Amino acid sequence: MSGTGRRPGPAGTYADEYAEALASALRGPARSRARLVAEIRDGLAETVAAYAAEGLPRELAVRRAVREFGTVAEVLPSCQRELTVAQVRHTARAVALAAPLLTVCWYLFLATGYGGQLPLATRLLAFPLAGFAAVAALLSAAALAATGPLARRLPTPHRLPRATAWAGTTAGVCLGVSALTLAASSPLSGNWPPVALAGALAAVLHTVVASSARACRDCARA
Amino acid sequence: MKADAVRGHLDGLLLAVLEPGPLHGYAIITAVQRRSAGALELRTGTVYPALNRLERIGLLRSSWDSTGERKRRRYELTDAGRRALADERTAWQAFTAAIGSVLDPAPHPGHAG
Repeated sequence: MSGTGRRPGPAGTYADEYAEALASALRGPARSRARLVAEIRDGLAETVAAYAAEGLPRELAVRRAVREFGTVAEVLPSCQRELTVAQVRHTARAVALAAPLLTVCWYLFLATGYGGQLPLATRLLAFPLAGFAAVAALLSAAALAATGPLARRLPTPHRLPRATAWAGTTAGVCLGVSALTLAASSPLSGNWPPVALAGALAAVLHTVVASSARACRDCARA
Repeated sequence: MKADAVRGHLDGLLLAVLEPGPLHGYAIITAVQRRSAGALELRTGTVYPALNRLERIGLLRSSWDSTGERKRRRYELTDAGRRALADERTAWQAFTAAIGSVLDPAPHPGHAG
């Protein structure tokens, strides 16, 4: 393989090696990455097989197929661009679903008194947490729109992956702090089970959003 | 035509070869090469992310095709894809007409003699 300097083998084996090298260099959501790499692997194997069927010796067929296909280094940037956008959408979806849930939880506890009387420090902390989460959710919704059908008319902003990663990190921090705050407040509130449950939910959502934001940062740097 | 020159027109090329009906990735590549009689230098490995992008923005849709030996992803135009192809054709005709009129100007009747 000219992209990795490996010696070409039979079409399938060679395509597998090519796909392996590509997959290990790419960052992005596992399912999207697997699908893209599998398609490329099959395409390369078919190209090699087509040249071999024309009567070319296997090694020449492999060389010609890779010249036409592009080496791993040549194909990598366009694949990474697409996977970065896939990760942006993945993170944006996670934030757009999780952050409003947090805002609703805080609203229920503060405006309706559902969880009983929460300590003053918790109530004071709740407003900025819910506010930042709501802003992150709005930014994420905008990122989803910008990378969906809207991208037919408007170019995708260059800094969108970084901005989405930051929105995800902000939402992750809000969810983490909320989880701790709710857990600490639940014994002090008048009706502790819903407060503790909301804290557990915030902890789970924090794990999901924070890991997705970290992956988005990796993609933005790739 | 060099790969760099082709890159800006890749979307239009992919949409055009899918106009007659659904195709899988490798068949799309061979259709582009066949239609251009091999004149277009295309880094075919970059076609797959381009197909993913066109699907993401709603110009293509894909499904698994299990006919034959292996499962393959088959792409087809959406209604938005057909409209985008018509727009690409209009823009391309306007572009080639403008460039052609500069490169190869028709003789002006007033300057004939």
